[in-house]
Amino acid sequence: MNKLTSKHRKLAYVMAIIVLLIPVIWLGMPSTGEEGSGGELAQLRVQHELGESTLGDVDPSSASMNFVLLGLRGIATNLLWMDANDYQKKKEWAKLRSTVDSIILLQPHYMKVWDFQGWNLAYNVSAEWDAVEDRYFWVKEGIKFLNEGVTRNERYPELDWKVGNLHGQKVGRSDEWRQFRNFYKVDPDAERYEGGPDPEINPERLDNYQVAKEKFLIANEKELKHKQHLQMRMLFRASPWHAQFDYANAMQREGKFGKQRTDAWAQGFKDWTTIFGREEFITPKGPIVLEWTEDDIKNLAGRDENITEADVRHWTNRYQDTSNYRFWRTRALSESETETIDAHKAIYDGEQLFRSGKFDEAKVQLEKGMALYALVLNKYPSLLSEDLAIEEGLQAVILWRYIHDLKGLQVPASFPLKPLWNKEQGRVPELENDLRRRYGIQ
Amino acid sequence: MSFDPIPYDLLDAFKHFLSVFGSTMLIAIIVCFIVGVLTRGLKGVADVFSGILDFFVQMIHVSCRRVWSLSVLTIREALRQKILFVFIIFAVLFMFAGWFLAGAADRPDLQVQSYIDFVLKAISWLVIPIMLLLACWSLPEDIRLRTIHTVVTKPVYRIEIVMGRMLGFTLLGTAILVVMGGVGYIWINRQVPESAQYKLVSKVPVYGAISFTDREGASTAAGINVGDIWMYRSYIEGATKARAVYKFKGIDESDAINDKLVLQSSFEAFRTHKGNMGAGGILYQFIFVNDDKNLRVPSRPLINKEYSDNVLEINRKLKDDNAEGGTGAELDIFTDLVDKEGNLTVEVQCLEAGQLLGMARPDLFIRTPDHAFLSGYSKAVFGIWLPMVIVIMLGVTISCFVKGPVAILTTLTIVMVGFMSKEYMNELLSGQMQAAGAIEAWYRLITHMNSQTALPDGPVKVIIGIVDGGIINFLWLCQQIIPNFGIYSNMREYVIKGFDVSWDAALLPGIITAAAYILPCLIVSFYSLKLRELEAK
Repeated sequence: MNKLTSKHRKLAYVMAIIVLLIPVIWLGMPSTGEEGSGGELAQLRVQHELGESTLGDVDPSSASMNFVLLGLRGIATNLLWMDANDYQKKKEWAKLRSTVDSIILLQPHYMKVWDFQGWNLAYNVSAEWDAVEDRYFWVKEGIKFLNEGVTRNERYPELDWKVGNLHGQKVGRSDEWRQFRNFYKVDPDAERYEGGPDPEINPERLDNYQVAKEKFLIANEKELKHKQHLQMRMLFRASPWHAQFDYANAMQREGKFGKQRTDAWAQGFKDWTTIFGREEFITPKGPIVLEWTEDDIKNLAGRDENITEADVRHWTNRYQDTSNYRFWRTRALSESETETIDAHKAIYDGEQLFRSGKFDEAKVQLEKGMALYALVLNKYPSLLSEDLAIEEGLQAVILWRYIHDLKGLQVPASFPLKPLWNKEQGRVPELENDLRRRYGIQ
Repeated sequence: MSFDPIPYDLLDAFKHFLSVFGSTMLIAIIVCFIVGVLTRGLKGVADVFSGILDFFVQMIHVSCRRVWSLSVLTIREALRQKILFVFIIFAVLFMFAGWFLAGAADRPDLQVQSYIDFVLKAISWLVIPIMLLLACWSLPEDIRLRTIHTVVTKPVYRIEIVMGRMLGFTLLGTAILVVMGGVGYIWINRQVPESAQYKLVSKVPVYGAISFTDREGASTAAGINVGDIWMYRSYIEGATKARAVYKFKGIDESDAINDKLVLQSSFEAFRTHKGNMGAGGILYQFIFVNDDKNLRVPSRPLINKEYSDNVLEINRKLKDDNAEGGTGAELDIFTDLVDKEGNLTVEVQCLEAGQLLGMARPDLFIRTPDHAFLSGYSKAVFGIWLPMVIVIMLGVTISCFVKGPVAILTTLTIVMVGFMSKEYMNELLSGQMQAAGAIEAWYRLITHMNSQTALPDGPVKVIIGIVDGGIINFLWLCQQIIPNFGIYSNMREYVIKGFDVSWDAALLPGIITAAAYILPCLIVSFYSLKLRELEAK
């Protein structure tokens, strides 16, 4: 039996509480924000960058929501995900958007949620709408959503990369890329944005690929500190420079062949060879650089006695193949030349003339473009390893042959891009279908 | 819109109520007689009769004054329990709501929906659980603390105790609801930007019946299925004879707004090729048809803006400029195009080849003069009041025969099933959802048998069949007894989408459902309280 009096018992309880408080305080005292302050757990949190504030901006509503839900966050999140799926199925877009926001309140540092829902808004929800203006609105929603994810999670280079990808690929490569690229500079909501772009998307009124490049550069910067798990490191780090090429190429697709386009290609070549090309990447046989000299090979091989110059050459070659390094180097170089510009311009003009029904003039331009393009391909045969370059030539030939059909003319036995035409016959049917859709050819 | 306002069949509902209620009563009486005879012999039969009679006697002698006094006591008791603290939570929610609702801020029209949804959800999520707790806790606590003795020793009928509780809680809940509803209304009006204020209306639609014709012009049960996972809409093919035919009943001049017929549509497009991307939508047109006078009058081509309100205002006087046989004469929509039976037939045609236009019955309606937003909003708040009353009735009834915590759990389970699983149960029991029974599913799971393989013949199959049959019957019983709270959630949907709450598709079924629980709850609570020893702790 307990022989202690009530008073003694209470004293014992107080003592026990004090004794237990010592380890609790030692372990759990919160940090004051200064380095080294706080209990053991707070210091470990800082050391391993696990604290809420070290992950990114803290949203007070999110933190309070998690606090209020106690241990039921998982269940609440699951219910919200089911709701979000249901709203998407039933095309309740406003509810979907607010439910996604609620999910984010509960899981602010779970990268996959930002990734999936950002993509879902920009791709899936956008595609559900019929008007291009509405589709663009939802692409912007996806970008804004991911932007929010970036500010709340500073340790995920993947998220910055995804933002860059939406600015670049989604805006610049969708079916509606012409309209999207225009909207990027002049938002369709003219009343709200006064004839300018949405400042949350494009504050500096740049091209979408220029913004993409900026975002990819931020991703690259973060990647130096925090490992990304998206793709091979070399390919991840090539993204800003690809965005530069896309920027130059997009101008070409829109028929802009002036100095701005040539400068963009020149800048692309410079970035590719002096920044990306000179970056060291680790291979199973030590480091390599893609833009190399004999001295580089010797130096790199000399760092480790187990690695020979042949090893370095072998792995450099493999990595160059993987990143299509040589192709882009040659392409960027060739695009600065007058001959190449003229070839692109003639083919582009031929296509535009064809579109407007001026078949005779189109034929002349296409023939000129094909002849010039053949010269470019002869000069830079490595261009034949890339789809875009091949398709441009084949499309010119298809249109040129189609004009012959329309006019009832015999296609000459010999024509400038014949070797390419014969070699790439496998691609022709798909390209023909594509052109039929594009030009309404029956 | 994701809801289909189908008019309520009052007669059918009444028949259903009578069959369920009548059969339950019959079974209860038979069981009582059997138990009575077995335990007390013939005296038992007389006791059962007197017991049944007692309910009617008490019902006839119910005193409004006594019920009112008990209600006032109930309200006082609830106020002493700091019930009004709920307003603090309410205030906090509204103060910080902006944080959570800033999502679709770039689209004020979509934002309005979020605001209304939030206000109505917040009110119902606060009021209903609190009234549930009060209703379930009150009576058992009085019995436990023996404060009930101060009441039962007075000349008060047991049924009056129950009614007093129900009425008291209902009045208290109503007062809370009115305050919250009022604050919510002001909050919505202040929160919605000036540019989207036009969205705060209660549209009054007249829906028609829909039918389809195929690409050859022959009648068909439905349009084309384009593979959308949500098979709500049916599609018609462009530049063919495919049509969706809407027939609106009882259309006359009173349905016009400023002498114009207003048609509002929200069709969905499905493109098989890009088509004209710059137009902002697929082209379609309406054709007004009156077979009595052999008239077919097309509207001008219209552009379908998806997920928006496409409004077409047509002057009641229009020209018969049909390219195929139009006379050019001036026609009046209400006298020339409405047929002898008062029907207005509108065909919808998609004009673009290779494109499809999808529609369901509620996607096209005639918009009659709007009501004020307050009209729809107050009905939606009424749509919170009705389930609250049901919850109070259920809570008080259940608390008559079990203790507080058990009553709370039981009522909560019924409410949750009624809100969340009723549709699921309906689909399961009506056979819409193909699913094996619980035991069969469990058996297949542990034996790794897929759902396509038939169960092997033998005793296992027989046992599974019997047990699953019992479970399904129990589920059927639950389905009949548990109220369908989903109909009240639908009322919210009307207001969110800018419509007035329909009388015959939402309000009437809501009121009837609530009313259907009054008598059963009174009977159950009366007998529970009568048979219960109130002295027991």
